[in-house]
Amino acid sequence: MRTQPWTSRSCIALLALLLWNLVLKLDASAAIDLNSVQTMVAAGKIAELKALGRDVLPVMARLYEASDPAQRTRIAQMFYALGWKSDEAKRALIKDVHTPNQQLRLEVQWALGRVSNDADVVEVLLNNMQHDGNPLFRDKAACALASDQIHLKERQKVRLYAGLIQALGDPKPDVRHIAMLALQIQTGQTKGFNPGAPIAERDARIREWKQWLEEYKSNL
Amino acid sequence: MEAMARRIQIQLIALFCFLATAASGQTGSSNILVSYSFDDAQLATGPDTFAVFASSRGTVRLSGTNRLSGYRSVEIRDVAGDGDFPELQGYFAPRSKGKLFLHFAFMTATPYEEFNIALAGPHWFNLRKDGIGFWLKTRAGHLCQVSDSMPKKLFVLEPFVWYVVNAAYDIDRGSYDLVIYKEGLEKPVVSLDGQANASNQPGSAVGKFSFIGDTNEDKSNVTYYVDDVIVGIDESIIRLPFVAPGRKKLFIDYWTEAQRTRLSQPGPIAAVGLADFGIRPKEIEAIKAAGLWELLLRLINGQAIPSDVPQEASVEIHRLLQAVALWGEGAKAFRDQKAAHALQRFDEATALVPSAKIYALNAVLSLAALQQWDAVDERLSRIYADWQDDLRFPPAMATIGLARQRLDEAEQWLRRPAEQVPDEIGQDLLRRLRGGAMTPELLQGLKLRFPDNWDDYLKDVFVAEQYFLVLLWKNQAADAERFAQRMADRYEALEIPSSRWYERQGDAAFLLGNFTMALERYEKGLKGHEQSPGILVSPTGRRATLSQTTSEPPRG
Repeated sequence: MRTQPWTSRSCIALLALLLWNLVLKLDASAAIDLNSVQTMVAAGKIAELKALGRDVLPVMARLYEASDPAQRTRIAQMFYALGWKSDEAKRALIKDVHTPNQQLRLEVQWALGRVSNDADVVEVLLNNMQHDGNPLFRDKAACALASDQIHLKERQKVRLYAGLIQALGDPKPDVRHIAMLALQIQTGQTKGFNPGAPIAERDARIREWKQWLEEYKSNL
Repeated sequence: MEAMARRIQIQLIALFCFLATAASGQTGSSNILVSYSFDDAQLATGPDTFAVFASSRGTVRLSGTNRLSGYRSVEIRDVAGDGDFPELQGYFAPRSKGKLFLHFAFMTATPYEEFNIALAGPHWFNLRKDGIGFWLKTRAGHLCQVSDSMPKKLFVLEPFVWYVVNAAYDIDRGSYDLVIYKEGLEKPVVSLDGQANASNQPGSAVGKFSFIGDTNEDKSNVTYYVDDVIVGIDESIIRLPFVAPGRKKLFIDYWTEAQRTRLSQPGPIAAVGLADFGIRPKEIEAIKAAGLWELLLRLINGQAIPSDVPQEASVEIHRLLQAVALWGEGAKAFRDQKAAHALQRFDEATALVPSAKIYALNAVLSLAALQQWDAVDERLSRIYADWQDDLRFPPAMATIGLARQRLDEAEQWLRRPAEQVPDEIGQDLLRRLRGGAMTPELLQGLKLRFPDNWDDYLKDVFVAEQYFLVLLWKNQAADAERFAQRMADRYEALEIPSSRWYERQGDAAFLLGNFTMALERYEKGLKGHEQSPGILVSPTGRRATLSQTTSEPPRG
């Protein structure tokens, strides 16, 4: 009998708390002046942006969406340098992950893993690494997968490793090569995989990698 | 962990390194690459030793509260969200082949907070060949090893429990054997052979190690403790015993170590801190500022000679460094059994820095080797007060006793009738002398009051102490205990403070395994002397240790 009113009161309290949190967050981000942030971004003043704290991230994301490609490129560089997780930043950046603008594309690919550990970030980078028509974009996507997935947990790395191991079997030699490099940077080893070796030899090594991945998963 | 390699802005807190010789009593020092027991209160560092990085809110500091052995461990405390991680990083001569043996102990207060312990090579703390070779980390309350590029769970960590890690790392094969002991258990909680190293790389060189909080996300609020870090090429390193938790280093501990390693003939006593050389924090700063820190370390390690000390150094620094260099030469000569030459060097060093106590004791030991007993006793009385509470003093006294040979004189004093000393001043001087309150002023008083036989009184005291220690040295603890009892009785009869002989009786009982008797003797020795508990430890600590020992269930 006492449960229902208690639950109601607690729901109301929870809602009030959430609302208050939201108000605080809105307040905090509203307190950061968009123009000041724009000036800092233009001047590359990363230390000053950092000093504003994480509340600067949604402001930067809003600025990113309202900017031209050149300024977006600079903002992506700032996201990269800050290395702070941000849903707003990820949502803004991922829209440009297929842009043909070369400089912007590279900066976005590099920055994504430093603002998010969402599965779709790894997915889109794996996809770019294997299937983008431009070898430069493929290569830099592999770089991002190798070095910039800084927020991934051990469990989340399963998808990354699985994608890289799968790419070892890609028909394109450059994809096999960059996938191996990314895997080597991530794990410190190659297990003897040679991207230019005959297919039978490559398959044998890929089987070793798959066994390794199974053991990795079993240890989680 | 690659951030470890990148950071430039660091605060160096120095930690002192040449405890190695004292801590590595069970292994040949030439086989030890690194040995830190963290027991010296003085903090100093050098590029070949270790560095502490604590540039944000996290800290790395000595802890006297939680330690496995000795007096201190190192506490590493990380603070989430402070933008950095604290780190204790150590270095040794890189090795790219052969085997390496690693021994250390750790205890965490916060098992669910991340920390990382790694051994790495020239490519620092990255997963790659010549990068990380051996890596332990915590994950969700478990201790894990990173082997073959993946974290593998070992066991659930308990808070405030010491774990001792022994690893035999085969560089050529890229694998290691791992044994981990948990406090209170005789059998290891982990015993694994042939584990692939961190990145499964044969021939991966190693030359540094690191203890940190978390690596990337800055979410760790870990507080953990590290003690007894030893890296070497001698397998006996990983057979070092587990020491009971929280146990202080007692006379007994130091005695056992020293007895095993020292020869039964006089030799130089090892330095365990810069204070031994009269070098205080102020001088450390001055030496560093003058760019001569490296030279100091080389002098201490016997890798430099007096002529290496630059003339342009300030008078004070020149004097300090010259004295260390002379001490180094003296120690080498002493080891080469050239006691006269050693004595000359130690005396020259003492003349330069009289406050450096290591020079004077080594001079006394040289005199003992030269059988100049009057000089030994006279000089001992001058430095006795400086040394009587030092761990190294009892073995040094035993060494002197062994060289003296005619220790039966100690028994003779017990059999002689009490002295006829009619005046109060004379009686007081002898009471103070036998009570251990030996100072240069007391010596002066003795010489004035007893101009003809003051040295006989000194000898009686020293011979008795040395006799007791020699009996212990020879594993005749029962005889030592009886002798201490008779000395205590005699002192009581003469109304001389007898606490020191009760304490010695307790030490002998401890060695015999009679902990109840030991505790009782320590308690008796402490009566009225709670503020000056004698050798090494506070009364509370010693009582606590004995209480733990007596109540400890048998391990089996």
